[in-house]
Parts: sequence; structure tokens; C-alpha cells
Amino acid sequence: MLRLVPREGKQGSQEKDVGMPQGMPQPVKPMLQTKNVIKKYRLGSQVVPVLNGITLEMLPGEVVAILGTSGCGKTTFLNIAAGLERPTGGEIFIHGHALNKISEKEMAAFRRRYIGFVFQLYNLIPSLTALENAVLPLIFEGVPAQIREKRGRELLQAMGLGDRLRHKPNELSGGQRQRISLARAMINNPRLIFADEPTGNLDSKTTGEILQLLLASVRERGQTLLLVTHDPEVAAYADRIVEMVDGRLLFPQAAAENNYL
Amino acid sequence: MLKQDVLILANRNLWRRRARTILTCLGVLIGTASIVVMLSLGLGLRESMEKSLAQWGSLNIVRIYPGMHFDREGNPTGEARRLHDDTLAELRAIPGVVALSPTYTVYGEATLGRKRGYLTLVGIDLGAMPELEFTLAHGRLPSAEERFTVVAGYQVINNFWDERAMRRQGMYHQYEQQDPAELLDQRLRLTINNQANYERKQSFNMFVVGILDEKNMERSWEVYGSLRDIKRMRDFMLQGVNNQQEPFYGPGMVALQPRRAVEAVSAAAPARGSRGRDDRQADYDSILLRTKDVAATKRISAALREQGFNAWSMADGLEGIERTSRTIQAILGGIGGITLFVAALGITNTMIMSIYERTREIGIMKVIGASFADVRAMFLTEAALIGLFGGIFGLGLSYGASAVVNKISAQYMQHGMMMGMGSGEALPISIIPPWLALFAVVFAVLIGLVSGLYPANRAIKLSPIVAIRNE
Repeated sequence: MLRLVPREGKQGSQEKDVGMPQGMPQPVKPMLQTKNVIKKYRLGSQVVPVLNGITLEMLPGEVVAILGTSGCGKTTFLNIAAGLERPTGGEIFIHGHALNKISEKEMAAFRRRYIGFVFQLYNLIPSLTALENAVLPLIFEGVPAQIREKRGRELLQAMGLGDRLRHKPNELSGGQRQRISLARAMINNPRLIFADEPTGNLDSKTTGEILQLLLASVRERGQTLLLVTHDPEVAAYADRIVEMVDGRLLFPQAAAENNYL
Repeated sequence: MLKQDVLILANRNLWRRRARTILTCLGVLIGTASIVVMLSLGLGLRESMEKSLAQWGSLNIVRIYPGMHFDREGNPTGEARRLHDDTLAELRAIPGVVALSPTYTVYGEATLGRKRGYLTLVGIDLGAMPELEFTLAHGRLPSAEERFTVVAGYQVINNFWDERAMRRQGMYHQYEQQDPAELLDQRLRLTINNQANYERKQSFNMFVVGILDEKNMERSWEVYGSLRDIKRMRDFMLQGVNNQQEPFYGPGMVALQPRRAVEAVSAAAPARGSRGRDDRQADYDSILLRTKDVAATKRISAALREQGFNAWSMADGLEGIERTSRTIQAILGGIGGITLFVAALGITNTMIMSIYERTREIGIMKVIGASFADVRAMFLTEAALIGLFGGIFGLGLSYGASAVVNKISAQYMQHGMMMGMGSGEALPISIIPPWLALFAVVFAVLIGLVSGLYPANRAIKLSPIVAIRNE
């Protein structure tokens, strides 16, 4: 049940660039833009190509799923798009910022401000409570404890974990852990959410709950979501699905032409 | 990242592996404690030596004698400079000299009521006495308007004994301590023999107006009067004495006084020239010189020897003590240093292991938005905390060990005192001054920080992708 739903692009107009004259029709600035991204790994004397020129554009508020089998390079693409890894070639822009111009030192702050992550294995810190895990990005941001805990509490309540604030991750179920992880991704209101197999470890019932929660949160905030999965049913939640095979996107151009502008 | 958050997180991470952290802290604890105890021993040893030296005589007084001049090993190197009024003026001009007084010394048999004894009587510039650290237990110092008023040392009374009472009660009576105040306001009668003709005698009456306190053991067996009065007695004592002749020492001389030995040797030395004896006889027997502090004492004492004076001070002994205590401190401090170095390696090892274990966590934090500075701060803080805890508890242990050492040494010293050696309260041989305590903790934290540098760098370099790769 593949749903290739073109979206109206209505939410995109909310993103205005400061300094542009008001009331005039403006070209929508893509939230994420990759141009011919190439990644090659060196394994001994062998060079293994992982990404063979990925060109993708996501408009503000858009939910895009990258669908592909394991090993097709979708996680690598996500890492590169998030600035965790440098590409061998090509360019990435997040909200107009060229990632290759951002130094390794500034990257942490940049990620903190622009990107939220949801992982398959939740990646929570075992020694921290649910609340502390959720507000971790704010801790790194230097937000005082009272402010961040208030925000964290509200968000976890919205995620349905109001009574689990002081629990450690290992005292919680997979679904509950992923809710904390969602809260963590949302806590500082980033414009871009990267979700890598967010339901890979969950049963089908919980999968549905988590995805609905994720989508609802993203839509509510007008965030842009890049969802990476091998599961077509999960990908079906997205506005647009691109398939990745052997480090290539299938018909990305066509998709762009069909859906936008 | 806020500082308190770094601290909270680091502290919490530290106690996730309780046993390992405690063991690592233990290394720092032992290292810190050994350094502190070692240094405290060095400091205490030095201070207690200084204090016990000061009991024997002030560290601010230089004594200058005529006679032979000696090198460090005690070999005579020639005749010492003579002591007369020109010398006084010369000495007064030395910077660091606060006051000085020449002295004349006579000795003879004395009577105090029924009691008899032998006395050493020293003439001194009465005006200089307060400056020369003459402090009183009873009475007052003699004044220049009076004649034949004297102040007696604390132990002088023990020079006197009642022969009849002794015969009655046996010899032990002699060693009984007598009350120094017994001498106050008493008349002493000193009989002096002429040294050229021992049959010639003259008696002098003196009135004791004050008793010195017991701080200065060097002075406790002597009686002090004005230069003028004592000079008169001395003139009689030396009338007709040929310079070649050995001066006479009465049986009342007390072997306790170290300078007597020096004087005896110098007097016995045969190198007396052919100087006229009258001119020589007017020379002072010694000069007391008060300096502004111990450092000045050491400097001036050495400089005077350099200039050919037979100068000597209690502080001279300090140098040897200082050298010894420096050596002890260096050895003991070295042991502590090695221990602490090993402890530092322990911290590094613990931190590296901790980073291995937390690789994934570090990766997550980096992905979530922890900057290099945040990661470094967290790990350095953890390492520094290990140092801090180790340092604080090490300091606690040091205080305990120091107390035990002092208690044991006090017991030994009290034992010694009962045997009749030393006096006063037992001095601690281990002292931990506040600066040492502070230094110990700061140093331990510093050790932690330095040990944490390499592991923290490793954590920074860790690739977040490798760290969070799904396994």
C-alpha cells in the first residue's frame, strides 16, 4: 500500500526569510538539499562505493521517507545529511547552510539547533532518567535546570509518559523508550527531524502508535521529517517516498518535478 | 553546557562504577597522604629542632669571643680578632644588628646565707639588656644608678647548697630543685681569688633584684651585673696575671654551657703573641650581639667568622638541621611523588576504560549536540573529581597519621624527659599547616586533570557514527 501523496506546500510558506519584502511571492527555500552526494569507503585496498550521487530536496514541513533494503546506504545518507560524516563528494545544505562550510567544532551546536534524531535503538543514556534524557540537548545548550525540566515535563506528558519522568530507560518498555527519544528530538524545536528506523525494534501495534505520535508532533510544529526505513508500511506515513537502491535514489528528479512548483 | 550540569553528570558517571572509582581514588589517597605526611614530618622535625635549639639560647644572638679562630671542622686557623671599643663600633655598623653589649666575666665562690656555691658573674651593658632578650621571671633588671645590683639566671639557685643540711640528708639533696624566687632580694657574697696569686682574695656583696625566666637555658646558670661593677672584680681577679698563663676555671663551672668548651680550647692554645698584657687585659671577654631575625643571625655570624672573629650563634646549627631536614623531605617527598605518579596512571587507566564502556553514550551525546568542549569538560571533570576525592580523603588520612606519629613521638619524648633530658612540652614532629592541606588537595585535583587529558582527547576524537552503529 504505497501512498505517494503530493502535499500542498502550504506550511512551507510559513518559513519566511528575514529581510525579504513582505507580501511578495517568494521562492520556497528548501529545508534540506543534497546535490550529487557521493560516499566511498576504503576497505583495505578496495574502495567500496556506498552513495552514488544522491540529489534530494525537502521543503519545509515536508515528510519524506527513504525506503530501501538494509545495506543500500540509507543510514549513511542520513549520517551525511546530518553532518555526522563528511561526504566524499557533493554538497548538502540545511536551511541554506552549506554543511561543508561548518567546522567540526561548530557542527555540534549546529545539529543541536537544527536537527532532532530518532534512532532504531532509542539511544538513550542508561544512567539518566526519562526526563533527563529528554532534556539532554537543552543541557548541552546550557539551559537552566528549571526551565528545561518544565519543558521536558510538558513534552513527556504530551508523549504519554507523564508518570514515568523519574524512571531509567531500562525500567521502561520499547515503546516508552521511543517516546522519550521522540521527546528528546523535539525538545529544542529543531526544524529538521531525522528518524532512522524509528520502529525497527517495536511490535506492529506500538509501531503505529509511535509513528502517529511522530507525525502528529512534526505536523504540529511544522517540522520537516526525513524517515528512513526498510518497511513500506512505515514509509507509507510520509508525504513522499523515495526508494534507494545501491546508493542511488530511484527517479528523484521525476518525483521533484511531479510534486513541486 | 552549564558548569553545575557538567559537575552533576560527571559525578553521577563516576559512581556508576563504584568499586573502580573507589579503588582509583584509593591510589590518589595513598599518594596524597604519603606526600603530606612526608612533608609534614620534614616541617615538624625542623620546627621542633628549631624550638629545642631556641630553648638553649636565642636564635637572634651572636656571641663573639677572643682567642682562636676555627674553621668548620674545628681546626684552629689562627688568632681571632680582639674585642675592644673599636670593635664595638665596627660591629654596631653592621646592618641587621639591633643591639650589642660587651661582657666581662668573673667567677668565684659565693655564699647565700648558709648556702655556698660557685658563681659565674657576667658584666653587661645594662641599657642593652631588654634588647638582648633578657626577660624576667621575678623582680626587675638592675639599673645603671645602682651599684652591685644583679639579676640571676633561673637555675643559679641550684648552684647553692647547704653543706650542713647535705651532710644530714645525704648527697641526693644536692639534686633537688630549689625555688629560683628564693634568690630574689637576697644578698650574695662573692669571693674572688686573684689568679696570679691564689692566696689573695677579695669579697664583693651583691644584691639580687631580679630572676631571669627559664626561656634561655644558656643564661640560666649565670648572674648578670653592670659592666662597671664586674670590671672592678675582674681587674682584681687578673691583677698580675701573665697572658701566657691559662685562666683559672673554678670548680663551679658548669659543663652544660657549650661556649665554655670553646673558650677553654682557645685559651689553652699556645699562639699568644708578645702583645703587652695590660692592653690585652682591658679587652672584653665576649660581645653579645642581637640581630633582627634568624636569617640575619646566620648571615652575620658567618660574615664575622669570615672577618676573623671567633663568632658563634645558636642559629649556626640550624644550617645543618635545615640541610638534614631538606634531605629527609626530598627523600620522603620523592616516595610520595612516585606513589602519586602511579596513582595518576591509575586515573588515566580508569578514564580510558570508562570511555571504552561508554563509547556508545559518548557517540549519542555528540549526535544530540554535545560539543567538543562539553565532552572534554565532562571527562576532565570526572578525572579531576577522582583527584579531589582522593585528595580530600588522603588529607584526612594524613591528619590521622600525623596525630598518631605525634602521639607516639610524644610518648618517647616524655619517656626521655623522665630520664632527665630536655624540658618543656613534647613538640609535634609532624605538622600540617593550612597551606600544606590546601596544596595537597589542589595538587591532587591537578593530577586528576592532567591524567584526564589523554582520555578526554580520546573521547573527543571518537567518531559518533562508529559509536552509535547498530550492532
